[in-house]
Amino acid sequence: MATSVRASGDGDKLTAHPLVDKGAGPVVRCAVWLGHWLTLAGALAGAAVALRVLGGSAPVHVALPKLFPFAEMSLHVDGLSAFFLLVVCVVAVAASVYGPSYLGAHAKAPLVQTLAFMVFVPCMALVCCAGDALTFLLAWEGMTLASYVLVVSDTADAEKTRAGLLYLIMAHAGTAALLAVFLTLTVHAQAFDFPALRDAAGRLDGSTRTVLFMLALLGFGAKAGVVPLHIWLPAAHPAAPSHVSALMSGAMLKVAIYGIFRFGFALLASTTGPLPPSWGWTVLFLGTVSAVFGVLLALQQHDLKRLLAYHSVENIGIILIGAGLAMLLGGRPGTERLATLALAASLLHTLNHAAFKGLLFLGAGSVVSRTFTRNMEEFGGLARRMPWTAWLFLLGSVAISALPPLNGFVSEWMTFQALVLGGARMGGASGLLAGIAASMLALTGGLAAACFAKAFGVTFLGRPRSAHAEHATESPAPMIAGMLLLAGACVALGLVPGYAMRLLDRPTAEVMGGLSASAVVAARGPLVLSAGGGPAGLEATSISVTLAASVFLLIAVAVWFVRSWPRKAPRRLAPTWTCGMTPTSRFDYTATAFAKPLRLIFAAVYRPHRAIAREPGPSPYVPRRLVYSGEVVDLTETVFYARFKHAVTAVSQAIRARSTGRIHGYIAYVLATLVIVLLLFGKG
Amino acid sequence: MASIEHIGAACAQTGLLVVLGPLVTGFIQKIKARLQCRQGASVWQPYQDLAKLLRKGTVQSDTASPFFQVVPVLVLAATVTAAAMLPVLRSSVGSSALPFGDAILLVALLALARFLLAIGALDAGGAFGGMGASREMTVGLLVEPALMLVVFSVAIVGGTTELGDLATRRHTLAAMAWQAPDLLAFFAMLVLIPAETGRIPVDNPDTHLELTMLHEGMLLEHSGPGLACIALATHTKQIVILSLTVALFCPYGMAQDITPEALGLALAAFVAKLFVFVVFLGVIESSYAKMRFFRVPQFLALGLLCAFLSLALRIL
Repeated sequence: MATSVRASGDGDKLTAHPLVDKGAGPVVRCAVWLGHWLTLAGALAGAAVALRVLGGSAPVHVALPKLFPFAEMSLHVDGLSAFFLLVVCVVAVAASVYGPSYLGAHAKAPLVQTLAFMVFVPCMALVCCAGDALTFLLAWEGMTLASYVLVVSDTADAEKTRAGLLYLIMAHAGTAALLAVFLTLTVHAQAFDFPALRDAAGRLDGSTRTVLFMLALLGFGAKAGVVPLHIWLPAAHPAAPSHVSALMSGAMLKVAIYGIFRFGFALLASTTGPLPPSWGWTVLFLGTVSAVFGVLLALQQHDLKRLLAYHSVENIGIILIGAGLAMLLGGRPGTERLATLALAASLLHTLNHAAFKGLLFLGAGSVVSRTFTRNMEEFGGLARRMPWTAWLFLLGSVAISALPPLNGFVSEWMTFQALVLGGARMGGASGLLAGIAASMLALTGGLAAACFAKAFGVTFLGRPRSAHAEHATESPAPMIAGMLLLAGACVALGLVPGYAMRLLDRPTAEVMGGLSASAVVAARGPLVLSAGGGPAGLEATSISVTLAASVFLLIAVAVWFVRSWPRKAPRRLAPTWTCGMTPTSRFDYTATAFAKPLRLIFAAVYRPHRAIAREPGPSPYVPRRLVYSGEVVDLTETVFYARFKHAVTAVSQAIRARSTGRIHGYIAYVLATLVIVLLLFGKG
Repeated sequence: MASIEHIGAACAQTGLLVVLGPLVTGFIQKIKARLQCRQGASVWQPYQDLAKLLRKGTVQSDTASPFFQVVPVLVLAATVTAAAMLPVLRSSVGSSALPFGDAILLVALLALARFLLAIGALDAGGAFGGMGASREMTVGLLVEPALMLVVFSVAIVGGTTELGDLATRRHTLAAMAWQAPDLLAFFAMLVLIPAETGRIPVDNPDTHLELTMLHEGMLLEHSGPGLACIALATHTKQIVILSLTVALFCPYGMAQDITPEALGLALAAFVAKLFVFVVFLGVIESSYAKMRFFRVPQFLALGLLCAFLSLALRIL
């Protein structure tokens, strides 16, 4: 009886080619290395500038050469810019160290990709540093186009071209919204630089500013992958080379978050008084929905990189929860400390997500470059073949699941504290909404842990389930070095968060006008996390992750000592028990099976669809072949985008049906339009 | 000086929890046996099991990675660290010089233990381990938010998530006197306790029928000292969850200062409260059947709902 079970998922195979690209001669290889080293040098310089500004020196202002007669262009690095510049540079450093070896093993067009990479990274940095609207938009567009090239350059397959097109459409729809905001502001300001724009925004009335903020949120949300604007993200991120995926997920999404911060807290904010509550609630709502929806969909993915891409949607959601809360609480009397806590949580999670998601994408890249597939069902047993990659991926998994003692836990702890204390302070319906957000965040943490138990376990543990996985070898040293850098950041940000708070001092003080992050979160020394601003007269919570981690380590060492104490009874190896049969890789639990209970529990969200095809054998009871396929849908795609597509198609078809192809008909349409326009607007 | 005293107290309380853990399991087994008209094993049986496992050798799956041996150690360490966040005999007065952890860290450490255990189960590459891991993570992600909501519901009036402070403020703060939300939250906790301790109606600790077990399914490939570590972690986790309930809802009788009488009284009160929970668990285990796995989410949703209503009542 031959029963074949084909698991669901998009197991698109990358074509297996030799480890070193045949076409890549020494010249090409040198060019690739040189390009990445140049980017590395640039990223290091950028990080140095960022650290200098964050360390307390004066904001850097650079006037750019005059490209257009009508506008001055400049770079201006203040605290907020510097922090996001640092985020971009940290991921860029790791990606440039990792990149050349990865491209050498994997790329079809290494030169084009190196070139696009060299444009992509500086453009992201420039968006963060831009001092005027023109520089911002030009760099923004450069960032989009360079990443588009990187998405479509890897293979010529139709699906990736479609992913690229979808990305381009969504990104430009977002840019159009941004353009509208910028143009409105520049018309009022008669200038392009940010201080002038801010003055102009201050003169606008409240409702206009709210409309402009919502437009900006739409534009940046499309780039950041906020639900329901996220659909391009799980298609485009996996298509790019892995170190670029790390950059897109770890850095490019953060650039969009920078945009939301810059507009929400600075450009559009009124100089006096708090932000309108509608802004904060919208951001908080979008964040909560993105967090839960992103992680739910991530759970059902069997393409490793697609799974990580959906987790980016989740983490952007967590960042926005903090940001939304900071918008709600900021500027109101009595809640300054809480607002600073929420903002610090949001910013810290930005940096944290850059570190662990970069690490996970690089780890996934190592796996993909050795197995030539992204389908998790074809991995297995890689921990014994690629130990470095495996343990670094595990570290990233623990961090992203918000488990102590790594960095993901620290920022989630701060977000929880801000939500709970903020909920208590706001009271009433608002407080309840904060409580709902807190419970959703807790659910998100549990779902993420389940998802990464699956991702790590199915990929790295058990037996290899394909020939490529069986013959996989460890990645070269530069790739491991790239991962080690980010892993170091994950550990450091988790164990000594008080020092990370110093990086947040300047941006939080600028945005909140006064209180700095250290004053609130690291009030009791750098090794203690405290949450201030609870009910009056009561000391709020303080914990020390450092101390907890040391105790954990001490106990672990002591237990290990007891456990491995020499005994008379021997330690021996034996096959896993499989009810008396010879174990094969078919006995292993697959990713589809692991996520099955959740597929049933959350069926309302997933709308799962399954099909079983039997190929009858000689006896009706013993089928020759059994083909199972199942998939879950992205609800926004079916509910929202499919209807939108239908509407567009219907309109186009209606137009087409009325296009006669004869010139008289068109002249009649033009005349009719003219008459209607004259009737409507002719009086004035 | 104060901090040394604080660390000493924390170590002693943690040690007490770890030492008492197996006894709680022993008592539950005894009560179950009596309710089923059996003599049952001695209450000290779990200690004897642990001692025996520690003496034994190890059989390890030949497909497992080196990480497999570390899993039991890390699981035990995470659970014991979680135990260290709990006030048992003494609730702290004022904030200590060296803060340690709070309820969120406690829940997160238990989640870490669960995560590592699930990964260890997938390591051996058998279907039972995978099934156990998948189900345990599913139950875990439903329990965790409810547990967090219970904590938040108490913390939102206490103004802190630090359990020692919360226990003290139960005595001192008028706002923290027992009210309707406490009742709801306590009921939610009663729903969650069987799930977190791996007991009927969510899981069955006695079964070794592969298709019905959750937690035990993950332990199949562990043996000898490794299994001893995980068994001790399971006992500890059980008493941690019970002590968490005590600290959140009825921290009465805890010593405010370190005198022999006060500590003796606190110990007696703690043991009495534990005994009530032990009887509760024993009776539930004997009078209900294990639920079908896909009924469990509905059962846990009841806990989630109560916890949420409790939080809502607090805020509104």
